[in-house]
Amino acid sequence: VRVDEMMPNIPKTPRQRKEPMGVLEQARARLHVSAVPESLPCRELEFGNIYSFVEGRLLDGTGGCMYISGVPGTGKTATVHEVLRCLQEEVDDSNLPEFQFVEINGMKLTDPHQAHSQILKALTGQKATPEHAAEILDKRFNTPAPRRESTVLLVDELDLLWTRKQSVMYNLFDWPTRPQAKLIVLAIANTMDLPERMMMNRVSSRLGLTRMTFQPYTFRQLQEIVMSRMKGLQAFEDDAIQLAARKVAAVSGDARRALDICRRATELAELAKTPGRKSAALVNMTHVDTAVQEMFSSPKIMAIRHASLQEQLFLKAVVAEFRRSGLEEATFLQVSQQHECLCRLDGVSVPTMSQLSGVCSTLGASRLLLVEAGKSDLSQRVRLNVSQDDVMYALRDTSQS
Amino acid sequence: MAAGPPTVFGHPTEQLADLYSSCPSRHYQVTQLLALFGQNNHLSCPRVFLYGPTGSGKSHVISSILNTLKLPHALVNCVECYTSRLLYDHILNQVALVTPAPDNDYTNYSRCDNMNDFVKTLRTVIEDRELQEETMYIVLDKAERLREMDMNILPAFLRLGELTGCNVCVVLLTEIVWEKFRAGTGMCEPLVLHFPDYTKDELLEILSSDCPTGYTKDFYMSYINIVLSVFYMACRNLNEIRHLALLNFPKFCEPIKKGEATEEDVHKLWRNIEPHLRKALQTVYLREVSSAQWERMQEEAATQESSSANIKTLTGKVNMELPFYSKFLLIAAYLASYNPARTDRRFFLKHAGKMKKTVQQMKRDERASSQLLGPKPFPLDRLMAIFYSIVEGKVAPTANIYSQISSLVTLRLMTQVGSDDQLDGAKFKCTVGLDFMRSIARTVNFDIIRYLYDFV
Repeated sequence: VRVDEMMPNIPKTPRQRKEPMGVLEQARARLHVSAVPESLPCRELEFGNIYSFVEGRLLDGTGGCMYISGVPGTGKTATVHEVLRCLQEEVDDSNLPEFQFVEINGMKLTDPHQAHSQILKALTGQKATPEHAAEILDKRFNTPAPRRESTVLLVDELDLLWTRKQSVMYNLFDWPTRPQAKLIVLAIANTMDLPERMMMNRVSSRLGLTRMTFQPYTFRQLQEIVMSRMKGLQAFEDDAIQLAARKVAAVSGDARRALDICRRATELAELAKTPGRKSAALVNMTHVDTAVQEMFSSPKIMAIRHASLQEQLFLKAVVAEFRRSGLEEATFLQVSQQHECLCRLDGVSVPTMSQLSGVCSTLGASRLLLVEAGKSDLSQRVRLNVSQDDVMYALRDTSQS
Repeated sequence: MAAGPPTVFGHPTEQLADLYSSCPSRHYQVTQLLALFGQNNHLSCPRVFLYGPTGSGKSHVISSILNTLKLPHALVNCVECYTSRLLYDHILNQVALVTPAPDNDYTNYSRCDNMNDFVKTLRTVIEDRELQEETMYIVLDKAERLREMDMNILPAFLRLGELTGCNVCVVLLTEIVWEKFRAGTGMCEPLVLHFPDYTKDELLEILSSDCPTGYTKDFYMSYINIVLSVFYMACRNLNEIRHLALLNFPKFCEPIKKGEATEEDVHKLWRNIEPHLRKALQTVYLREVSSAQWERMQEEAATQESSSANIKTLTGKVNMELPFYSKFLLIAAYLASYNPARTDRRFFLKHAGKMKKTVQQMKRDERASSQLLGPKPFPLDRLMAIFYSIVEGKVAPTANIYSQISSLVTLRLMTQVGSDDQLDGAKFKCTVGLDFMRSIARTVNFDIIRYLYDFV
């Protein structure tokens, strides 16, 4: 049996993937989140900082830690990967000493201690239990070896490596401090104050003060990111990109979200294409606006609007009962009395208790209400999972039409 | 039309006739279920929920349909399956026709730890038995127990047909309504069928079918009529009434055996049996006298003519032998539990004021009599103070006295409230009734009524 047959592989798809044809298809391919560009726009400063940090350590042959934080979608992992790619190019040009790159992701580990096994496997190819791997790694980083090359370790999703004793985190930040280790650790997480909040003092002091925070993208930066991907391709009106960028920057500043909205807008433009014309029109403001509506609008109001008559009446009864009692919680019995009144007012036939319990449980299953299990039938407590104003807003429109 | 014997839903009519005769007074429900199940190769209703009171024939109807028509099925009682693994094992064994027995070392069909394995195994079993074309019925009796098992079990059973991709019909039998099965997260709604209580006529019809040999059916019917006239008000459970009818039938026939009456003397027979049945309602029905004891008494009464008044009932035996000081400790505990602490001075000090209630107090007590509200907790100090004031002579507070308190707790005559501290500040409650307390107090010549605040 050949070795490459024993490697895990995915069966090949029989057909070759199609090359993107039209302008909008090309735009979609470029806007895909997985199509990471060679150099990230608007992250030059962060790139420079990380690059000089790692380069300095590599040239000195010492180790160190750096903590990188920022909300999701601000380009942390992509920037670090770009730094390492550039460093590797420098190594290939023999401007830098050789180094080894290891990457672990806390989300991909079933157990935090598995990190030890993963690092050992990436460094030496050995397989070992987490405890044994920790011992081997400890020995490796403690013993002097003059010809050992440096190691760059990227730890993504650091907060998931938290354990009660924090032994994994401690090891990761303790090994770089050993004189012989030559280990450079880049730790990535979302929260800025993670070291102070979750780590013990001896762990956070070993992590050191080399921190970097990726700020959320402003609308100009988001606009530039999308524009840079669209370079040389006339698919968007400028205002359309600006609208998408402004909407996303107002909510989260997540670049993935901006790219997704733009992709969805190209799809909408494709659908709106007039059949006679050969090429589709440009993506304009209306398409982006629809895409934004689709992504940001709350589904709960839609759910209330499309609920059945008795379900809507039940929600009204819940709100009425809350207004009556002034509390944010009511029993099923109280709501059912209100419901009966509302039915009589509207001239709708009053459902039986069993039917009403069915109504209540459907609303609970769709999470418009928070209900207890049916075991405590009449005394089960009912709470709203949407604000009262949202319910009244959603139901006012239906009663008028 | 194909030639051959006439069938309904693909079942031969003789089998259906057997089925209907074995389920008297359930014609409507049987027809309803047969229509739901359809022919064996039809895709039947995937989930059916049957509910009705105890003894309304739910399990009987389902099991006789499945057995008479020879449908492939598994019938499991959820009370027996106190873990989910047992439930899976029982169902799979029955579906795969495997019985754990000595010759296969009591092994189950397959080892199944979770719902995922169960669904997979069930599919392979059905394929192995080549039953893909037929409906497999899984009947879960006492299904209310499923709610206390893992969260996923009840929703998964309700969707078993979809999950396995086979033609599976899950039938849940229970005494409580479907609304009480719903969980917060929602699940597939089953088809709900109700089994109502038997009416008086239906009970008469069913009960008259087990007429003993040697008597005419009309005679037995008249007996059942009398039995129902006494018991129907209190009990509609078929099994219970059938048991009582069989138990008291010898007494009913006694005058005929002795030659005092004939089968036609309905009035005389009624006069003979009626007081006897009334007594049975108060004793045998409440299980204060066991059935065997009741039968023995009937025999003795027939031979010796001794009255059955001197029955020792279960609840009649309330005189418990306790040590002398334990009795006083228990009385003190009762008084401490049922009297408000503010009245202790008036009851137990020598020169206290007059014991008279004001009108205001009377009104307040009417609202909240402590005999209705139950016992209240009291500290150990108060118990000992009352004990020393009611017991005569000097009693040293020895270890013996204190150990008697803890033995009263182990006998469940008192309970400790809030087990935060055993030694310091322990609080107790007295958990015996007034009747028991009075009989205890009588043995030590203590008039407990005089000391109870509610009766002053």
